[in-house]
Amino acid sequence: MRASVIRWLSTAVAVLALGAGVASQPKPKAIWERNAPLPRGFNPGEAFPTIALPSAADGRPVSVAEFRGKKLIVNIFASW
Amino acid sequence: MPVWHAGLKQLEQDGKVAVVAIVQEQHPDRARLFLQWKQIGWPTLADSLDLLNLETVPLTIAVDEYGIVRFSELPMSAVKTIEQTFISQTYPRPAAIPPAEMPDLPALRAATSRGTAQAWRAYGDALSVQGGASPWSDVIGAYQHAAQLAPGDGLTQFRLGGAFRKRYDSSARQPADFQDAERHWRQALEIDPNRYIWRRRLQQYGPHLPTPEPFFDWIRSARAEMASRGETPLALAVEPGDSEYATPGAAVAAAKIPTVEPDPRGRIRRDHGEFVSVEAAAVPSTATPGDSVRVHLTFRPNLRTKAHWNNEVDALVYWLSPPRQWTTDRQAVVAPNAPTEVSQEPRTVEFEVKVPDTQAPGTIAIPGYALYYVCEDVNGICMYRRRDVNVALQVTARPKEGKR
Repeated sequence: MRASVIRWLSTAVAVLALGAGVASQPKPKAIWERNAPLPRGFNPGEAFPTIALPSAADGRPVSVAEFRGKKLIVNIFASW
Repeated sequence: MPVWHAGLKQLEQDGKVAVVAIVQEQHPDRARLFLQWKQIGWPTLADSLDLLNLETVPLTIAVDEYGIVRFSELPMSAVKTIEQTFISQTYPRPAAIPPAEMPDLPALRAATSRGTAQAWRAYGDALSVQGGASPWSDVIGAYQHAAQLAPGDGLTQFRLGGAFRKRYDSSARQPADFQDAERHWRQALEIDPNRYIWRRRLQQYGPHLPTPEPFFDWIRSARAEMASRGETPLALAVEPGDSEYATPGAAVAAAKIPTVEPDPRGRIRRDHGEFVSVEAAAVPSTATPGDSVRVHLTFRPNLRTKAHWNNEVDALVYWLSPPRQWTTDRQAVVAPNAPTEVSQEPRTVEFEVKVPDTQAPGTIAIPGYALYYVCEDVNGICMYRRRDVNVALQVTARPKEGKR
């Protein structure tokens, strides 16, 4: 009798825990939120990296900092 | 990208916003061709070596007039509201504004005397940006120092791979550069398998994906459309190879491909490199049973002897004789002739081999031979020659189920 009560209670606790788990499951995040955190310089409030990269047109080193003074949209992409 | 261009065009013309593109590609001029096709005139920077240390693309970021990031990872739908949410907003001027960083090469070189991996990698990074017209041997040297000191640093391995491939595509090329690039990219991905950009770099040169994934099939459409608009498409420094297209090009499709072995008794005279040298790269160079491997072969006329292709005859043919039980996606490959009478361009052939499930570990040679018409010197004699090739692949045992 005592063993069966313990078994019943264990099952009830497990079912409740499962239910609570489902209820508290977070809403799936958008795909761009599921990657690793962005490195420093890419998150709101941080200064965008100022390192120079070669111009794709002529190889001249250019820093994104040279575009300051205006609002800027930086579009990082690959054509593939 | 065209969506952002359409949405921002008027705002750019009104001087309210600027746009800069950063390309995460080994061959950034392909992205420039894409922008030309889409009539997008954004200034474009190249980050072939992933100096920005990013995991994936695309990534659109809003930066205020002081250089501070205000929105990160903007979805494409944000373009509709970007004027209200970002462009028309006023942001406080920060106390300190970081200046543009132009690499100080002498200082970075001096810092390498500390003998740290970080100093060597920083020096390699700087050389890759500001090391002159042909910096790649020096860049490779710096990254090799860094890799020796910290072999587990994936960024160094990836950048070293990129530098090797850059040198391979330059006049300073060494025959093993492409294979070395593959080796370091693979090491980088083993260190951090979540790097989508690194993964794609290897896939670009590797076996066709099941789809197969069309990396650069858009280039054909772009060129045709630009020609119909009366424009001259930008010339590419390195044309995409067979592995980078989902379907073969018209010249390859139209080429006369032999169905029976052209020199079964080996009677054609051999070229041992006097006229044409050959470079081989396998992606991946180390495989397990059941894997597919893409082999890239490049044949280069010897410029010292002024050797050149004779284009008035049949094109270069490569006949593949894989070991027993190995399968291939094709038996013969043709590298089409250039449209001029003679030429000296490198010719590439690519094919895939599949490692049999029963293959024991070891170094396996994949034999084959090329047949081509080559002439020596200017107005010199022309010949028909055979070049035997053995591509070496490393086969390792497949990891046991459940073993990590």
